[in-house]
Amino acid sequence: MPDLDQRDFPDVVIAGCGATSAVGVGVEALRTAMRTGASGLRKCERFNDGRFQSSIVGAVFQNGDGDDDPAYELANQALREACEQGRDVLQSITPDRIGFVLATTKANIEALERLSDGRDCSEMARRHLQGDLLAADLAAAHGAKGPVQCVSNACASGLIAIQQGSRLIQRGAADAALVAGVDHLSAFVMAGFSALKALDPAGCRPFDRDRAGLSPGEAGATIILARKSLIQESTNPQIQVLGWGNSNDANHITGPSRDGSGLAAAIRSALSLAKADPQELDYINAHGTGTPFNDAMESAALRSVFGDSCPPVSGSKGMLGHTLGAAGVVETILCVLAMQERCLPGTPGLKLAAEGAPSSLVREARRANRMNRVLKVNTGFGGINGAIVLGYG
Amino acid sequence: MDHTFDMHVSTNELKTKIIESLRLQEVTPEQIEDDAPLFGTGLGLDSIDALELVVMLEKHYGIVIKDIEEGRPALRSVRTLAEFIEAKQTAK
Amino acid sequence: MAKVVVAAAGIVTEADLSTAKMGSRFGRMDLLSQLALLAVERLGINFEKMDRSRIGVCLAVSAGSLPTDIEYWKGRKEIGGPSPTLFAYTLPSSAIGEIAIRYRLTGPNLCFVGTDATLLPEARDLIERKEVDGCVCVACDVITTAASELIRVQPKAQVRAVFLVRGTNGVALEEKHRDMESVCALVCAGESARNCAR
Repeated sequence: MPDLDQRDFPDVVIAGCGATSAVGVGVEALRTAMRTGASGLRKCERFNDGRFQSSIVGAVFQNGDGDDDPAYELANQALREACEQGRDVLQSITPDRIGFVLATTKANIEALERLSDGRDCSEMARRHLQGDLLAADLAAAHGAKGPVQCVSNACASGLIAIQQGSRLIQRGAADAALVAGVDHLSAFVMAGFSALKALDPAGCRPFDRDRAGLSPGEAGATIILARKSLIQESTNPQIQVLGWGNSNDANHITGPSRDGSGLAAAIRSALSLAKADPQELDYINAHGTGTPFNDAMESAALRSVFGDSCPPVSGSKGMLGHTLGAAGVVETILCVLAMQERCLPGTPGLKLAAEGAPSSLVREARRANRMNRVLKVNTGFGGINGAIVLGYG
Repeated sequence: MDHTFDMHVSTNELKTKIIESLRLQEVTPEQIEDDAPLFGTGLGLDSIDALELVVMLEKHYGIVIKDIEEGRPALRSVRTLAEFIEAKQTAK
Repeated sequence: MAKVVVAAAGIVTEADLSTAKMGSRFGRMDLLSQLALLAVERLGINFEKMDRSRIGVCLAVSAGSLPTDIEYWKGRKEIGGPSPTLFAYTLPSSAIGEIAIRYRLTGPNLCFVGTDATLLPEARDLIERKEVDGCVCVACDVITTAASELIRVQPKAQVRAVFLVRGTNGVALEEKHRDMESVCALVCAGESARNCAR
C-alpha cells in the first residue's frame, strides 16, 4: 500500500481574520493591545453579587446588553470582518467550495439561563443553544455552502477547528474554510469555575509565582483558511498552517497530566507535520490560564520538548481572559499579528515568574528579530491537547 | 431559612451522604472504614470529589469552607470529617 | 490507499445501564459519558496490544451536553451552589475524556455537536492520513425529557459505537456509509448478536 505523502497536500494559508474581544471590536484593537500590553480584564458588575470567587472577566458586553443571542452576535461580527478581508479569495470560488467550522464550548448558553428563569428568549436564541444549528445559521449567513461542522473539544476547540478547516481543504472537500470560534460570558460558566475554585480573585496571572486561577472571557474570532493556489502572487506573503497535533492525557477529567507528556506529544506531532525542528520556532503562544495546575503542566511540557532552549513564550489570557471555545482562534490571530508586526507579545498579568516557568517567558512586548515559525497550544478539560505551527511558506 | 443540626454526627449517616453526593456505585457504608484514607488510597477520591464534599458539607451540615486548604485535614477520613463537623457545629 | 474497515460495532441504550458493571466511579459520570463508555466497553476491543498513542477517539453528540447543562444549572439555587462535578460534564468532550482515561488512549480526539454523517468522514481522514492506526467512533443521541422540552426534539438515549482500523479484516467502510446504525447492521449481518444492534 502506498504511503500517504504529505507533499501531495495543498498548502493552507490564512486569507483573512476577524475578532471581537475584551480589548475591542476588530483585529486592529487586538494589534494595538498586543503592542501596548493593555489588558481587557475588568470587574464586571453583573457577576459582582458575591456568588462567585471573582467578578474579573474579559467582557465585550458590559451589562449583557440585553441581547439574548450573544453567541451569534459575537461570531457574526468576527465573520463579517474576516470575510471582508478575505473577500477576493472567497469570491473567486463557488459557495459549495467554502466550508465552515465553528468552535464553541457552550454555544448560546444565554438561552438556557433565560428559559430557566422564565425571562424573554427569542426562537433564534433558543435555536442557537445547539452548536450545530448555530454553525449552520452562521455558515448560511456568510455564504458557506460546503461542509459545516461544530467542534466542541473544551478549551482546545479553537485550535482543533483550525485543524479541521485545514483537513477539509487538504482532502479536497473545500477550497476555503471559515473557521469561527465563539463563547460568551455567562453566570453558567462563572458558577462552574467558582464551584471548582478555579477563579483568581485578583484576575489571572499566567505563569506567575502567585497565580491563583483563571479569568473567564468572551470573544468571537474568525480565521479564513484557503488553498494557497487561490491567493494572488502579488499580495503580501501569506502565513500558512504548516502542521498540527492533537492528543489526550488520559489522566483525569479536569486535571492535566502533571508531567505534561500529553501536550508534549501534541507539540511534537505539530512540529513533525510542519517539518520543523524545535529550534526553528521563533515564538510560542501558551495556553497559560493562570491556574496552578495548568501553568505547571505547560512548563513541564515545554521543558520536555525544548529543554533549556525554549523559544520566547508568552500567554495572552491576561489580556483577553479565557475565551474557552474562541481561545484557539483569537489567540492564533494574535500570533498572526505578532508575525506580521515582528513583535513578541508580552504576558499581561505576569509580575514574578514561577519557579519552573520557562526562562524565556516574555513579560512585556518587544521586537523580534525573526517571526517565521510560531507554535500555538491550548489544552482543555477531558485531557485534550492541541497544537498548531504557523509559518511563512 | 433556619437549619437545626444534630450535635453528634453519626459516621454511618456521614458515609451515606458521601456515597450519595459522590454517586459511588457498588459501595455500601459498611465497606467504608472510619479511619481509612478518603483520598489517594482507600476510597481513592480525587480533587473534584473534594470540592463536591465541600458542597455537601454546606448543603447538609451548614458548614462553609472558603478555602480548600482549610478543609484538607478534615477530609482525611470519615472520622476526621465527623469530628470537624461536630467542632464547627459546637462553635456556632 | 489503505482500506478502512469496521473491526467492531454495537449499540447501547439506557436500558443497558441497569446491567452495566463499570466500577465504583461510573456513577459520578453524566448519562452521556456513561452510555458512551458502556458502548465502547461492549465493543470488546483489546487495546492493550495496540500503540494507544495512535488510537483516536471521535464523538458526535446530537444535542451537545444539554441534558447535563440543565441538571447542573438547576443546582444553582441549592445551598452550596451547583455541583462542581456536574460542571465538568457540561462539555460533551468529557465523554471522550472518560473513554481515554479508562482505556489509556492518548491519540487525537474530535468532538462534534452533530451527527454520524459528520463523524465518519473525519475518522476515515485520521486513519488515511496515518495520524492514527485505529479510531473509536461514538455517535450519541442523548436527549432527556427536560432537554427535549427545551429544543423540541423527541427524547432519546441511544449510543452507537464502531471501531475503525486500517486493514483488511472486517467490513470495509465506504463513502456511502453515512450513518452508524446501518454500519452496525452491516457488521452484524454475518456475526453473532453479542456486539450488535438491537
